[in-house]
Amino acid sequence: MRHRTILEYRDYRYLKLAALIVVAVIFAYGWYKYPVGHYGGTPLGYTLGTIGALLIVWLMWLGVQKRRYRTTGDIKGWLSAHIYLGTSLIVVATLHAAFQIGWNVHTLAYVLMMIVILSGFYGVYTYLRFPSLMTENLAEDTLESLTLKIADIDREARRLALGMSDEMNKAVLTSIKETRIGGGVYAQLRENVPNCPTTIAVQLIKARAGTVKGEEARKQQDLYGLMLRKQRLVGRARTDIRYKAIMDIWLFFHVPLSVALLAALVAHIVAVFFYW
Amino acid sequence: MKTKLATITRNKKGQPASTEQTVVAETLRIGRGADCKLHLSDPRIALLHAEIMCGVDGVSFVEARGGAVSVEGRFETAATLKTGQRLLIGPFEVIVLPPQPDVDLALSVELVDPLKDDLEQVKSQVKAGIKSTWLSKRLFSWVAFATVLLAFLVWPVMNALDRSHGKEPVKIAGLTADASWDVGPLSSAHASFGSNCGACHQQPFVQVTNGACEDCHKKIGWHFALDTKEAKAVHTGIFGDTQCSSCHRDHKGPNGLVRSDATLCTDCHKNLKSKHPKTGVADVAEFTKDHPPFKVSMLIPGKTGPEALVRIQQDDKARYVESSGLKFPHDVHMSPKGLRGPDGKVKMECKNCHTPDETGTRFKPTTMGEHCQSCHSLEFEPKATKRQVPHGKVADVIATLQEYYAQAALSDAPIDVVLEDGIKRPGARTAETKRQAGLTWANAKADKITQELFEVRVCFECHQIKKGDANAEPEVRWQIAPIAITQHWLPKSRFPHSQHDTNKCDSCHAVTKSKLSSDIAIPDIKNCRECHGGNVTVKDKAPGTCETCHGFHTGSPKSGVPPILPGSNQPKLMLKAAANATYLANSPTAKSNGTGGASQ
Repeated sequence: MRHRTILEYRDYRYLKLAALIVVAVIFAYGWYKYPVGHYGGTPLGYTLGTIGALLIVWLMWLGVQKRRYRTTGDIKGWLSAHIYLGTSLIVVATLHAAFQIGWNVHTLAYVLMMIVILSGFYGVYTYLRFPSLMTENLAEDTLESLTLKIADIDREARRLALGMSDEMNKAVLTSIKETRIGGGVYAQLRENVPNCPTTIAVQLIKARAGTVKGEEARKQQDLYGLMLRKQRLVGRARTDIRYKAIMDIWLFFHVPLSVALLAALVAHIVAVFFYW
Repeated sequence: MKTKLATITRNKKGQPASTEQTVVAETLRIGRGADCKLHLSDPRIALLHAEIMCGVDGVSFVEARGGAVSVEGRFETAATLKTGQRLLIGPFEVIVLPPQPDVDLALSVELVDPLKDDLEQVKSQVKAGIKSTWLSKRLFSWVAFATVLLAFLVWPVMNALDRSHGKEPVKIAGLTADASWDVGPLSSAHASFGSNCGACHQQPFVQVTNGACEDCHKKIGWHFALDTKEAKAVHTGIFGDTQCSSCHRDHKGPNGLVRSDATLCTDCHKNLKSKHPKTGVADVAEFTKDHPPFKVSMLIPGKTGPEALVRIQQDDKARYVESSGLKFPHDVHMSPKGLRGPDGKVKMECKNCHTPDETGTRFKPTTMGEHCQSCHSLEFEPKATKRQVPHGKVADVIATLQEYYAQAALSDAPIDVVLEDGIKRPGARTAETKRQAGLTWANAKADKITQELFEVRVCFECHQIKKGDANAEPEVRWQIAPIAITQHWLPKSRFPHSQHDTNKCDSCHAVTKSKLSSDIAIPDIKNCRECHGGNVTVKDKAPGTCETCHGFHTGSPKSGVPPILPGSNQPKLMLKAAANATYLANSPTAKSNGTGGASQ
């Protein structure tokens, strides 16, 4: 059976629900007439605002659901609902605001909500795109097994390099001690690592090919093969970390901004009724 | 050189074990290389790392070659070896042992910094997952939550509390925190409230009350006059629960406070009669289609109270006639040939008599003294004197004439121009008999001129005058028709003349051919429709929504004001006069000073 994504969950159950909400809301907005025109304070405006606020709170509850492992319903269903109902918020909130914006806490809440939703879209994109790329990159391996393989190569390369020139030996040692895989935020996300000691070692061995003969040349050839393999393994490990980082990093915006949105939402509601 | 090398290894508990060997070489080569007598198999050691030699004086010294050598913590390229000295060659510690027999030099060698396990090494260099970095969802979330809540909720609430305690809230860059709560710019009328939110929002969590509006808008009118019980009941039925804020939503920009949408009016007025059969207001949904002909509000001379004013629809031809009590042919006054004036010929223009009021909306009252009298002089004996009869009561006119002629007859001063025999001669004193004769003459003359003024010229020229009993006292022999000049013909609309002054007057007011003062020159609805569309925008036409011409709060909150005079646009004097029902209660001659616009 073909793998079904979170978007297709139960024959697009939540897409249908979200579409229903959006159509109903647009219809209500078009049909409803208020003497002074649409704005958040009309009966329809209050209704849309209430729907929007409840949706926001409910969608945030998913975050709590994910943290608890004993969840009601399966996590895929929750996530599918989260995505589609979250998207429907764009229409609900925009019509609640009646397209009015300004430099105030009300628009702040709206803008925060839009950023949260857009970052969520990016999250959906990463969930759809990167898992297959990760599988493709790792194949049978895991980051752990890649690490083991690299360690094996390091041991062998170190042994081989002991009998070689200081330059060669040092390059191999530097590769062993200083080849960083992953690291800080930027290091995990970047595609190319400049001055990677392993790459430098590979280049050096290649450059020195032909300077030695006989047994030594054969050993050097072996070392070159080892370092080349290590270079590929390191590359795959880095790619794996990069994919994971991409899949993770948006949540570091999505979650805190949705918490900020919750605060702005509270301020928005209090402000509106404080100066009713 | 003979060197004793003690290689020290340690077991798991750290206890040392020593393996000794003696090497003989000219130079003790130290390194990773196979040819090194002190062979240190570690990738951190150079092939030939250093050399130890024995000098001619028997003193040994070390020289760095392919790698670095540290002697007592300092990197040296060459150093003399002394007993107890500690050298670091890569990860190896080499200690110079005390001199021993049979050897030139004794050294202990120990690997003090072993290589890490390869797997450990690699693992230490792998750092995966954003969670392992400084980024923290929890920290960010708390910071964001607290920042937003403090800046946009706590601080503004504190501002509001400051205000309610009469304290001026702290401003940053000219803004108070609750400015962030402002949903939009205030209307131009309320802009001066600025950030004083409490002016309207008087209680937290309570909608703006009508009372808050009425703090300033004390005199706002109802939609129609509540002068009867029935009117009050109808008003309560329609507007009972309506709040000011139901229609007037502020924070919608400079012009956002006042509703100008058609539904405000047409929701009720398109089928008003079916809801309120007794209403005198016609159903109307659209200016361009079913708006009835205009109804003019006209003053009726000689009537009092509500009868002083009638409303006549323009298509009611039989009644659509003005009866101001004056004779005034516009065509004569507007003649292109001009008129004979006191200083020669005058070509009159509208503005000679109709001068705009201070607002430019309508016109100041036209008065005898200001606008007519320069041509229509009240001189009664122009050949003899510049004196004029007063523009007032009949009795005053007669008294003026009697006084004048008596004075002329009896005065010592000669009146050369009066040439009738026996009256007086230059320089002569008047004798008693002659005085009597003079008085008789004066009375007869006054009577004659009075009759002339009321029946032929001067007064008669403009006034409709009824002649009574010829034998009656002169004061009641002539009755001047009451005067009522309507000042505001369409008080239920607003028509700013100033906004239409690019048009010529006669493009709307057809007066140049009007021969009679009974003609009404108020333009009809067709005239307006030539330029104005309706609630629905019409191409190439100016808007013509209900609100373009009509106001909503045109009813008066006070009872007793005739329903026909609700407009705040009504000239005060007229309103007051009609309200007091004293208007024209006295004969028109009672108002003689010409200050009342409506009376002259």
